[in-house]
Amino acid sequence: MSNLETLMVLVPALPLAACLITALLGAAVLKERSHWPVIAGIVGSFVCSLFLLFDVLDMVREQRGQTSVGVEHVVTLWTWADISDAYQAGGANGAPRPFDIAVTLRADPLTAVMLSMVTFISSLVAIYSVGYMRGDRGYWRFFCYVALFVFSMTMLVSVSNFALLYVFWEAVGLCSYLLIGFWYEKPSAAAAGKKAFLVTRVGDFGFAIGLFLIWTTYGTLNFHDVGADGSVITNAQPNEAATGRPQGPGLPGEVSIRGVLGQSRLVLPDQAGYVGGAVGVAICLCLLAGACGKSAQFPLHVWLPDAMEGPSPVSALIHAATMVTAGVYMFTRVTPLLVAAPEARVSVAVVGCFTALLAGIIALTQDDLKRVLAYSTISQLGYMFLGVGVGTLAGIVAGMFHLFTHAFFKSLLFLSAGSVMHAMGNTADMRRFSGLRRIMPWTCLTFLAGCLALSGVVPFAGFWSKDAILAAAHEGGAGYHETYQVLYYAGLFTALLTAIYTFRGFFLTFYGETRVPPEAGHHAHEAPPVMLVPLVILAVCALVVGAVNWEFSWPFGADALYHFLLATPSLAYAAVPHVAHEAGGLHFEVQAVSTITALTGIGIAAFLYLGDRRQVAALTRWTSSIYGLRLYQLSYGKFFFDGIYSVLVVWPLWFLALFSYWFDRWIVDGLVNLLGKLPVAVGSMLRSLQNGMVQFYALAMVLGLLVLVGTILMWPAM
Amino acid sequence: MDELQLLDRYLLIGALLFGIGLVGFLSRRNMIVMFLAAEMMLQGVSLSLVAWGRFHNDWGGQMLVIFILTVAACEAGIALALVLMLYHRSGKLDIAFWQTLREANQPRYVDQQLPDEPIQPEHWPSLPTAGVEPRQPVEELIHRSHV
Repeated sequence: MSNLETLMVLVPALPLAACLITALLGAAVLKERSHWPVIAGIVGSFVCSLFLLFDVLDMVREQRGQTSVGVEHVVTLWTWADISDAYQAGGANGAPRPFDIAVTLRADPLTAVMLSMVTFISSLVAIYSVGYMRGDRGYWRFFCYVALFVFSMTMLVSVSNFALLYVFWEAVGLCSYLLIGFWYEKPSAAAAGKKAFLVTRVGDFGFAIGLFLIWTTYGTLNFHDVGADGSVITNAQPNEAATGRPQGPGLPGEVSIRGVLGQSRLVLPDQAGYVGGAVGVAICLCLLAGACGKSAQFPLHVWLPDAMEGPSPVSALIHAATMVTAGVYMFTRVTPLLVAAPEARVSVAVVGCFTALLAGIIALTQDDLKRVLAYSTISQLGYMFLGVGVGTLAGIVAGMFHLFTHAFFKSLLFLSAGSVMHAMGNTADMRRFSGLRRIMPWTCLTFLAGCLALSGVVPFAGFWSKDAILAAAHEGGAGYHETYQVLYYAGLFTALLTAIYTFRGFFLTFYGETRVPPEAGHHAHEAPPVMLVPLVILAVCALVVGAVNWEFSWPFGADALYHFLLATPSLAYAAVPHVAHEAGGLHFEVQAVSTITALTGIGIAAFLYLGDRRQVAALTRWTSSIYGLRLYQLSYGKFFFDGIYSVLVVWPLWFLALFSYWFDRWIVDGLVNLLGKLPVAVGSMLRSLQNGMVQFYALAMVLGLLVLVGTILMWPAM
Repeated sequence: MDELQLLDRYLLIGALLFGIGLVGFLSRRNMIVMFLAAEMMLQGVSLSLVAWGRFHNDWGGQMLVIFILTVAACEAGIALALVLMLYHRSGKLDIAFWQTLREANQPRYVDQQLPDEPIQPEHWPSLPTAGVEPRQPVEELIHRSHV
C-alpha cells in the first residue's frame, strides 16, 4: 500500500476502532473516560484527512495544465459479493455480466474536501460533547454512536461504488436514528427517532430503485473503470480512451467494465456514455427522492425539525453539518447523470428553491431556538440543491462550497444554541428567556458570528457561498433560462427571510431584559471552557472559511475551490455547460444586491424585535388587517404538513395496521386455535364414556361384538 | 337320535348357558354373583367345545375344555382373592362402588336414590321413670358383622 492508500484506509478505520473500543469497554471500564478513545480516533482521522487533502492537492498541481485529466485514486480492499453471470444483457442470448461489489475507497478532490470538513467538525463536536454530555447516564453510548457515525460518514464520502454508497447512506441514517432517540426514555425523542427513520426510508426506497435502474442501464455500480484483470484504471487519456482502449503509461489492457463515473465513459465525446431521455430522467428523479429524504427536502422535510429532540451536539454534527448534506454530495458526485437529464436537473433546482422558501417562511415564527435553526438548515440545504440543480459547473461547485461553509457556521449555531440550552436547564423556548448576552457573553459573540455568516454579511463565510449560488442561478444553466430567473428571485427573497429569522432568534435570545427560566436555577452561567473552545474555533472558521475559495494571486478571484473540485473526474469531464461569465468569479452586481438584502433583513428584525413597541404594534395591526392572521398561523403551524401527512399517510397506515392486527389476532390465530381445540372438544364428548364402571365396559364389548357379528352375518360377500 | 340332532341340543344348551351367564354378568352387581355368571359363560363355551369335538370325532375340543377348567380354577383363586380384598376395603360387594378408574373430572355415577324409609314415630310404652337405664354393651355396638 502506498502512503496515500494507507491514509485512505486510516480515515474511516480510526473512528471505527474508537467505536469498537468504546462499545466493548465503555460500560465497564472507561465510563467517564469514554470520550478519550473517540476524540483520539476522530482527531487522528482529521489529521489523516488533512494529509490526504494535501496529497490530492499535490496531484492536482502536478496535472494542472494538462488537458482536463481528473485526479482520482482508487484502492480495492476486498470483494464483498462476486457473481460471475448475474445479468444476461439482451435476454437469454446476451453475454452474462458479472455483478460484484468491490469494497473500494477513492481519493479525489471532492472526497478530500468532504473528508476534511466532516472530520474537522466531528472533532470539535466530540470535544464540545465532553462538556455538554457530562454526567449523562449514556455517556459512553453517546461517544460510541458518534464514532460509528463518523466512520459511516467518512465511508459514505469515500466509497467508489453505488451499492456501498447505499449501505453507508443507510448506516448514517441508523446513527441518526440512534442519536435522535438517544434519550429514549423521553417519549417525544423516541417518536422523533422513529419518524426520522421512517420518513427517510420513504426516500431511500426511491434511491434503491434508482440504483436498480443504474444497474440495468449501465451494467455496473462502480464509479471507476475496471480492467480485464480486475485492476482499477484511473488514468484514462481523453484521446485513446475514446476508443475504449486507454494506452496511458503503465496501464493494463482494455477497460472491461466501464464504471458509471469512470474516466473511459466520461471522456466519450458529447455525453455518448450517458443515457438521457426517460430512463435518464427516471434515474435522476429516483436519486432525487433519496436525496430529499436524507437532506430533508420539500415532501420529506418533516423529520428534521423533530430530530432536534436529540442532544445538541448531534443536531450540530448530523442534522446540520454532515449527514443531511449527503444528498448534495451524492448529486455532485453523479453530475454527469444530471447533465444527461436536463428535466431532472431543473426539478432538483425547483425542489431546492421551493424548500428553501418554505422552510424560510416557517422559520420566521417558531418559538424553539433549535427549531428555528432546523428550518434554517432545511432552507440552506434547499439553496445547495438549487446550486446543484443549476447544472453549470459554477452552480455545482457553489452548492459544494455552500455545503462546506454551511457546515461550519450551522454547527456553530447549533453548538451555541446547545450552550444556551445547557445554561437554561435544557429549554430552548425563546419565549422563556431573553437578554442572555449579559450572562453568557462568549456564547452571544459566537452565535452572532454564526448569524452573520448565515445571513450572508461580508466577509463571513456564508456571504461567499450563498452569493456563488445566487450568481449561478442568475446566470442560469443550459436552457430553462426563465425558470432559473424565477428561482434566482425566490432565492434572493429567501436570503431576506434568512436574515430576518436568524436575527429574530438572536435578538429574542440575547437582547431585551434578562430573563431566565426557573429550570436554570440560580446558576445560569457561561459554558465551561471545553465547550467554549470549539465554539470560538468554529466562530473564527465562520469568519474566514470563505477564503478557501480565494485565489491569492492577481487578478483577485474567488474560484480556487472551483479549480480544485474541477479536478474530480466526474466534474472535469462532465461536459457541463460553461457559461459566458467566468464561472466561480466575483459577481459584483449579485453580491451587492444580496448584501443589501441581508442588511435589510437584519434591519427589519432589529426594528421588529428591538424597536419601539408602539410602532411594531401599529405595524402588526396594519399587516393583520391586510392578510389577517392566517399567514402567521400557517407559518406557525409549519403549513400543517404534519397534520396533512397524518391524515393522508399515517392514519390509513394506522388503520391498516389495526386491521392487520385484528385479522391476525382473530382470523389467523383463531383458525390455529380452532384446530387446537378440535381434539379437545371431541375428547370432552367421548370422555363421558370412560366412567370407570366395569359393567358399562362389558356392555360396550358385547354391543361391539354384536355389531361385528351382525355385520359379518349381514355382509353378502362374507 | 343322530349326531346332528345331538350337536344341536348341546349347542343350544351351551348357548343358553352362555346367554344366561352374559345377562347375569351384565345385570348383577354383586361381585361374587358376577364371577359365577362369568363361570357360567365359560361352561357354556366348554359345552359347545365338547359337542363340536364329539361331532368331529376329535379330541381337540375336550382337550381345550381341560385347559379351560384349569384356567378357570386359577381364575377363581385370583378373582375370589381380589373380591375379598375389595370387600375388606369397602365393606361392600357392590361393583358399582368401584369407579376409581374413570376419566378425571367425570362425575361419579350414583345409583338412583332410593327414597328414605319414612321415619315412623316410635311409640314406647310410657312408664314412670324408675331405676337406671341399662347400659348398652359397647362391643355389641361397634361390632361389624362379617359375612
